[in-house]
Amino acid sequence: MGKLKEAVIAKEKSLKERSCYEDALLFKEQDPIQFEVLYTKLVHSVLNAREVAALVSASPVVREMGECVFGLYTAEGDAICLSVGLMLHIHTMSRMIKWMLMNDYEEKVGIREGDYFFNNDPYIGGTHSPDQLIVTPIFCEGELVGWAGGVTHVPETGAVEPGGLPASATSRFHEGLILPCVRIAENEEIKKDLEVFVSRNVRTPEWWLLDNRAKIAGCRMIRDEVKKLVAEYGLDYYAATSHEYIEDTMRATKTKAKSVLFPGRYRAVAISGVGRRLLIHVPLEMTVGRDGQLSCDFEGLSSPGAHAQNNTLPATEGVFMCAAIQHLFYDSRYNSGSLYAMKLNIPEGTVCNPPNIFYATGLLSPSIATGIVWNDCLSRAYYAKGYREEVFAPNVVTVGMHCGGIDQYGRMFGAFNMEASSCGTGARGVLDGLDTAYALWNPEADMGDAEVWEQILPIVWLGRGIQPDSGGFGKFRGGNGIESLYFVANTNQAEMGSFGGRLPIFTSAGIMGAYPGSRTYRNIVQDTDLKARIADRLPLPHYEGEMPDKPEIVRLLNGKAELMVGRYAARPVKEYDVYYQTNGSGGGFGDPIERDPQLVRQDVANKVTLLSTVERVYGVALDSTTLEVDLEKTGALRAAIRQSRLKRGIPAKQYIAQERERLLSGDLTKVARDLYDDILKISPKFAGEFREFWDLPEGYLPSDVSDQKTPGGSV
Amino acid sequence: MAISYPKDLLRDLLEGNLSPERIWEIQHAPKDSDRCDKVVSLEQERVPWSERIIVCLQEHLYIVEKRGERIIKCSCGHEFGDYRTNWKESALVYERNPQDGEVYFHTRAADPDFMVLREFYCPGCGSQLEVEAVPPGYPFIFSFLPDLDS
Repeated sequence: MGKLKEAVIAKEKSLKERSCYEDALLFKEQDPIQFEVLYTKLVHSVLNAREVAALVSASPVVREMGECVFGLYTAEGDAICLSVGLMLHIHTMSRMIKWMLMNDYEEKVGIREGDYFFNNDPYIGGTHSPDQLIVTPIFCEGELVGWAGGVTHVPETGAVEPGGLPASATSRFHEGLILPCVRIAENEEIKKDLEVFVSRNVRTPEWWLLDNRAKIAGCRMIRDEVKKLVAEYGLDYYAATSHEYIEDTMRATKTKAKSVLFPGRYRAVAISGVGRRLLIHVPLEMTVGRDGQLSCDFEGLSSPGAHAQNNTLPATEGVFMCAAIQHLFYDSRYNSGSLYAMKLNIPEGTVCNPPNIFYATGLLSPSIATGIVWNDCLSRAYYAKGYREEVFAPNVVTVGMHCGGIDQYGRMFGAFNMEASSCGTGARGVLDGLDTAYALWNPEADMGDAEVWEQILPIVWLGRGIQPDSGGFGKFRGGNGIESLYFVANTNQAEMGSFGGRLPIFTSAGIMGAYPGSRTYRNIVQDTDLKARIADRLPLPHYEGEMPDKPEIVRLLNGKAELMVGRYAARPVKEYDVYYQTNGSGGGFGDPIERDPQLVRQDVANKVTLLSTVERVYGVALDSTTLEVDLEKTGALRAAIRQSRLKRGIPAKQYIAQERERLLSGDLTKVARDLYDDILKISPKFAGEFREFWDLPEGYLPSDVSDQKTPGGSV
Repeated sequence: MAISYPKDLLRDLLEGNLSPERIWEIQHAPKDSDRCDKVVSLEQERVPWSERIIVCLQEHLYIVEKRGERIIKCSCGHEFGDYRTNWKESALVYERNPQDGEVYFHTRAADPDFMVLREFYCPGCGSQLEVEAVPPGYPFIFSFLPDLDS
C-alpha cells in the first residue's frame, strides 16, 4: 500500500474515533503570529493563482464571470486554503486527490513532480462534467508534501446538447467527454495526443484547452510559492502547520455555531424536479447542539432516476458546504475543517448520492436545494439568537440558456452563457434582497458583458434587465432576478435551450410570512418579423414589460410564440428567432402587508415593482401619477386584507381532517402521488412521520388508494 | 474588547431603519454576545402583554412563560399552546391556488397540480405567519423546536 494511501486511511480513522484532525495546536500556541503570517502567504498564493488563471483562459465564463477557484491541499488531500470564487470545490478537489491515492495511483500510475492530473468525473470529484479539475503534486526534499489544484467551469463538453448541461440527458453517457483522473501533462509538458482527442470531441475546444492551461498556470504558481515557503519556514514546520490550520478551523466552526445559533431542531423542505413529470424532495433536519455541534440530516431525499438532476455525493457535499461557508463560517478559514466539524448525512441510494455512476448529473438542482433548506434553517437559528442581520431567506435554483451549432463565423460552437450567476438573493431579516446579484454556488460571480458574448455567439441581446416583482413578496422582498431577451443572428444552423429547475414550481421559499420568488421560465417566438421591424424602425421588444401574462415579445412580434414551461431541451432555431429567459429570484421575509409603504413607492419609482402589484399584494394605496402614498387608505386596505384572511382561513385541525380524507380517497395529482410513493418507500423515518401526521393506516401508499384518474403530471 | 450595541441601535436594526452600509458594518464586526438578551428585552417592550418572553421564535411569535407553562404567543396576544407542538396546528390555514391571480401573475405562478401555497394566519390578528410552498398533501413543516433548557 502506498504511503499516502496509508495516511488517508489513518486520518479518516482518527477523525471518526476522536472527532478531531489534530490533538493539539502546538505551533499555533508556540507562535500565533508566525502561524497566521504563513497562512496569509498561502492564501495569497491561491488568490494570485486565480487572478492569473483568469487571464490565461479564453472563456468569458472564467475571465469575466469568475467561474474558477484554486486551492492548496495536504499530502493526503485535505484542503488547507482556498481562493474566492467557485468555492463549492473546496472538498471536490479533496475527493479527487483522495480517490487517486485510494486507487493506488502512487504505485500503479505514478505521481511525479511536473505531473498534472485532470478530472471531470463528478462521481470522483467536481460537481458535473463542465466543472473540470486539475491538480499537481508538490514535492519538497523528495517528499510529496501537498497538492495544488484549480477548477474552472468549461461551458461546453461535447454532450448530447450544447453548453455542457444537457437537460435531456438520462444517463452519464449523454453528458459528453468525461475523463476520470487522467494525467494530461508530465514533466510540465501537456500531452498533445490528449489535446487532439479533446479538440475532436467538443464543440468549442478552445475553452476546454485554454482552461487547462489556465489551471496548469495557477497550480504551478501555487506549487512554486509553497516550495519557497517551505524553504523559508522549514519542511517540518510547514507539514505540521498545514494540518493545524484544519484542526483550528474545526474548533472555530463549533465555537461559531455555539455563539450565534440557538440550540434546537430545525426543519425545512425544498422541492425540485424534472420537466412536468417528476418532483424531487430535499428535506433537511438541522440540529444545533448545546456544544455547538451542527448536524445536518437529509434523510427523506428522493430516489435517483433517468434524468439530469441526480447529483453525486461530492457535488452535494460541495454545494452544501459552499452555502455553509457563506452564511455561517464566512469569517473562518476556508478549508476541510468546517466539513469535518459538521455531521452530514446524505443517504446513499438517493438523488444526492446515487448508488452507481450510471445516473446523469448535469443539473445541480437537488444539491442547490440543500443550500436552500440550509438558508431556511439557519435563518431561524440566527433569528432566535437575535442576529437578524444574518437572516437570509432561501435562494433560488438557478437556470440559464445554452446554445450551439454553427456560429456567425462558420465554426462549430456550444456554450452556456452563465447569466444564471445573476439571480436575486433571498431577503434579509432587516432589508430587501439584492437584485440580479447572486448565485449560491459562486458568491464571487458576475453576470458578464453581453457585448463580449455577442462577439463570440450568434446571438444579440434585445434587452437585459431586472425582472420586476420576481422576488418573493414580503415585509422585506426577495431580490429580483435577471431577464434577458436575445435573438439569433447570422446563423440558421443552431439550437437553443435552457437548463435548470424549470418545473412549474417555486424553488426559493419565503420565510416567516413571505412568499417565494416567482418560478423561472422562458418564452420563445420563432419565424418572427423581427428583421422587417428593425428595417422599418418599428418598436422592438426589450423586456417582458408591464403585463407578464402578455409579454412584449407576444405583443410586439408576429411569429410562433411558445411559453416553455417544463420543456427545456435545446431546439433548432434560426435567424431572428427570439428567446426570453428568466434566471430566478430570492424568497421574501415577513408578512407583505407589513412592508414599509415608502419602500413600495421607491420600488415602483425604480421600476422593480409593477404598479399593478402594490395594492393587491402589499395593500398600499399609491397615486399612479405622483406615486404619493395615501397612508389612510393604505391602513384601510391592510385592515381589509387581515379581515379577508380571518374569513377565508379555516382552523388547522379542520384542514388536516379534510386533507386526510383526500389522501385516503386517493385524490392526489400524479406527480404528488409519485413523489410520496417514492419517499415513503425509501425513507422509513419520513414514512412514519407522514402517516402519523395525517393519521393514516400503517403501510399507506398513495398509489394503493388512487383512482389513477387525477390530473397533473403530463409530460 | 467585547462588542455591545446600544438598545436604540438594535431597535433601529429590528425595525429596518438602518442603512445597508450600517448593517454591513454590524455584519462585519465580531458578534455582540449580549444580543439575545437585548433583543428579547426590546421585544418585551413592544408587545402589549406581560408574560416573560423566553425566546423570539419568529416574526410575531414568542415562547413565553405563563403559569409555569411554556407556550407560544402572538404579538397580538393570541395563544397557540405548548411550544413542543407545531403552532401551525392551532393556526388558521388557507390553501391558495398559486395561479388564482391574487398574488402572482399566471405565468410566474406554480401549477397547483405540483405545488400549493399554504398560508398560515394568526386567528387573533390575521397576521400571515408563514407561507409553505409544498406539493399537495405534504405534512405541515415543524420549522423550529428550540432547546429551551440549553
